[in-house]
Amino acid sequence: MSNKIPWVEKYRPQSLKEMALSSAKVSGHRIKLDEELTNFIKNFYIEIKKINEENRKIRAYNRTAIEKDQKEELKISPEKAAILLEGPPGIGKTSIVYALANDLNMEVIETNASDTRTRKTIERRLKETTKTRGIMDFITQSKDKLILIDEIDGLYGVQDRGAVPTILELIENTQFPIIMCSNEYKTSLQPIYNKIQRVEVHPLPENEMLKITEKILEKEKISNLTNEDLELIIDKNNGDLRGVINDLQGISQGIMEKDNKELILSLHRDSIEEIFSLIRELFQVTTLTEARSLTDKSDVDYNFLYKWINENLPTFLKANRDIANAYENLSLADEIFGRIRKTQYWGLLPYFYDLFAGGVALSRKETPPIKGFRRVIFPRYSTGSYFSLTTAEKEFAEKIQKIYEISPIEFLQDLLPFLKTLSTSSRKQLKIISDWLELDAKEKKLLK
Amino acid sequence: MNTEIPIWRIKYYPRSLNEFCGRDSIKETLQQIIKQKNFPHLLFIGSEGIGKTTLAQLFAKEFLGNYYDTNFKLVYANVPLSDDERNQAKSEAYISTSKIGSIAGKRITTPAFIQIKVKPFVQLKVIGDAPFKILIVKNFESLGSDQQGFRRLMEIYGSNCRMILITTKISNIIDPIISRCQIILISRVKIDRFKDLIIEIAKNESLVIDDTVIEALYKVSEGKISKAIDLLQLCSISGKTIDMQKLYEHSQRFQNDLIKNLLLLTLQGDFPKSRELARKIISNYKYDSHEVFTLLLKELNKLPLNKFTRNKLINLIADSDFRAIDGRDIDIQISALLSKICLFSEYL
Repeated sequence: MSNKIPWVEKYRPQSLKEMALSSAKVSGHRIKLDEELTNFIKNFYIEIKKINEENRKIRAYNRTAIEKDQKEELKISPEKAAILLEGPPGIGKTSIVYALANDLNMEVIETNASDTRTRKTIERRLKETTKTRGIMDFITQSKDKLILIDEIDGLYGVQDRGAVPTILELIENTQFPIIMCSNEYKTSLQPIYNKIQRVEVHPLPENEMLKITEKILEKEKISNLTNEDLELIIDKNNGDLRGVINDLQGISQGIMEKDNKELILSLHRDSIEEIFSLIRELFQVTTLTEARSLTDKSDVDYNFLYKWINENLPTFLKANRDIANAYENLSLADEIFGRIRKTQYWGLLPYFYDLFAGGVALSRKETPPIKGFRRVIFPRYSTGSYFSLTTAEKEFAEKIQKIYEISPIEFLQDLLPFLKTLSTSSRKQLKIISDWLELDAKEKKLLK
Repeated sequence: MNTEIPIWRIKYYPRSLNEFCGRDSIKETLQQIIKQKNFPHLLFIGSEGIGKTTLAQLFAKEFLGNYYDTNFKLVYANVPLSDDERNQAKSEAYISTSKIGSIAGKRITTPAFIQIKVKPFVQLKVIGDAPFKILIVKNFESLGSDQQGFRRLMEIYGSNCRMILITTKISNIIDPIISRCQIILISRVKIDRFKDLIIEIAKNESLVIDDTVIEALYKVSEGKISKAIDLLQLCSISGKTIDMQKLYEHSQRFQNDLIKNLLLLTLQGDFPKSRELARKIISNYKYDSHEVFTLLLKELNKLPLNKFTRNKLINLIADSDFRAIDGRDIDIQISALLSKICLFSEYL
């Protein structure tokens, strides 16, 4: 019965209106995804109509003209014919395309990584529909079409050979708008990137995901999952809404009587949960051998593990002496690891292991033993992230840079704090500065 | 729209070499070079914020004259590339065609910064009637080992493009680069020329300021003109007369209080809170670990502490900064320092 339909399909939004829209950016500027896509499709049809009319004239002319006078037929420019949505898996890229098509009463022709995409198959599936309209189209008022090339980053290997040129050709000759989706940057797709507009789609914020999952649970009449459980599931899937819904279905259609938490734990035993329990156990060991065997038997990447330890250290160790001792070991481990990477002197690795795991865990002296459940936190502070400005900061900096040579770093560390002090000391100054630079609301906020 | 520029440091930004405040001997050298229409690669050395870039830029502007816009570029070596630029650099890597030797068949990559920011500019021929193009590279020392890439660039494209490298730390520049450049040392502005400038600004903005206050301003701003002008503007908000008290009050507010707060909070011994604040500061100002440590050291020297405490704290900061050189995670290194100071605070 209805149990057999995956919930992901069952609850796929039918219209943009019922969808929680992810935030999106085009080359660093925030945009509204629904407006952007609707405009793209509308503009496409205006443009293609013009071009078709023009081409009809050219063709008529060519029939009578001698060969050397013949004119080339016009082609639509690629950025008007196709658009690329980029973002991590499961955040609703495909869903938004279907919802949009539904709203505009269009038919979606889809190809995705599960189809083999050799030149021939793509041609067969798409070229026919893109170049000519079927006979039936003239008889019945058929729907307009929308081409969705999903997972274009999955174009690789022998089977998809020749797919990139085919897609490029398709973009040039299409009679229907093309939307492409992709998870990650691929060098082999550079020719496509160069020609079309790329839209960056971000995951939904957690509270939006929570609302969606609550709605689904209500409809499915499931009541024994607490909010905390939901948060745990959402946390774990890291922005992947599809993963969240799949997990929900998995839990609720498993054995409902079992303890929920245990079920949740069993879903992702391989990755996050393993780290959760590993961290908990690690802070409870009393000998170095125990600590060693814990890190040895786990598959968790140590490159990653010591960042988890850094984040959760104050949760498990409370006395200042213990924290300082643990950090003495952890920072030495970090230094050793950096040096190994720099000099490739892998002989130092055993020290790294013992220092970051054993050294930290065995620093407990004054902190009393852990009682009860301690929540493990995800590492929030991501290092290795490069210096980057937010959109508002960037636009502000660009406005200043037009008149005054200053590097983004100096702007952020030197000029912006000054402007901030200046404009907080008098409202008049704030107004003068923001009028002069024509700041918008977001940029003004940086001054407050 | 108001045509008056409301930010004074931009308003009084020098428009020509003559307007540039003080440093007469260097200006003379540069003017001589402009007359000769030729110069070797230059290396500008001087402490932070005293006007090296401004000077270099004004010089380039007057040297190139009408062809300034097309033949000049200023790049910042310490501003990291965006992801797109990084990817582009990667995609431009190629496989060596050489059949023998150590690079045969290997993938050749140029450092991304050089590939994206420098090479396209220096390879392009001079536009117009200028003798050559001018490239200014700011914070050159932060390129680290990528400086090696400049050695060949300076030779191959030297006739097409002269470089002005700007740095605060000569000790971080590799020898081959130093030997390829003429070194120009830039000192901070002398007090009498500084006075002239401030008096002129004061006249323009109808401020009242006397000599002793200007001297104090010079001291507080460490001879950095843009900082002094900033401070002057802040003081001017609450009235046209500028006195000592106002100056010190504003210089306190103006300085980065956050780091001081961080130090005080840590000395109270609350580790989780101080880590929270440290993370906030780093994400707001995008400091790297070394910058945080030096700022902490600077604030530490201002605090009234006994000499043993101060010595111990300096020891801790130095140790952490030292580890962070090789360390991969600055959050760990900074947390380590904070936790040690927290522990130490229990013995105060």
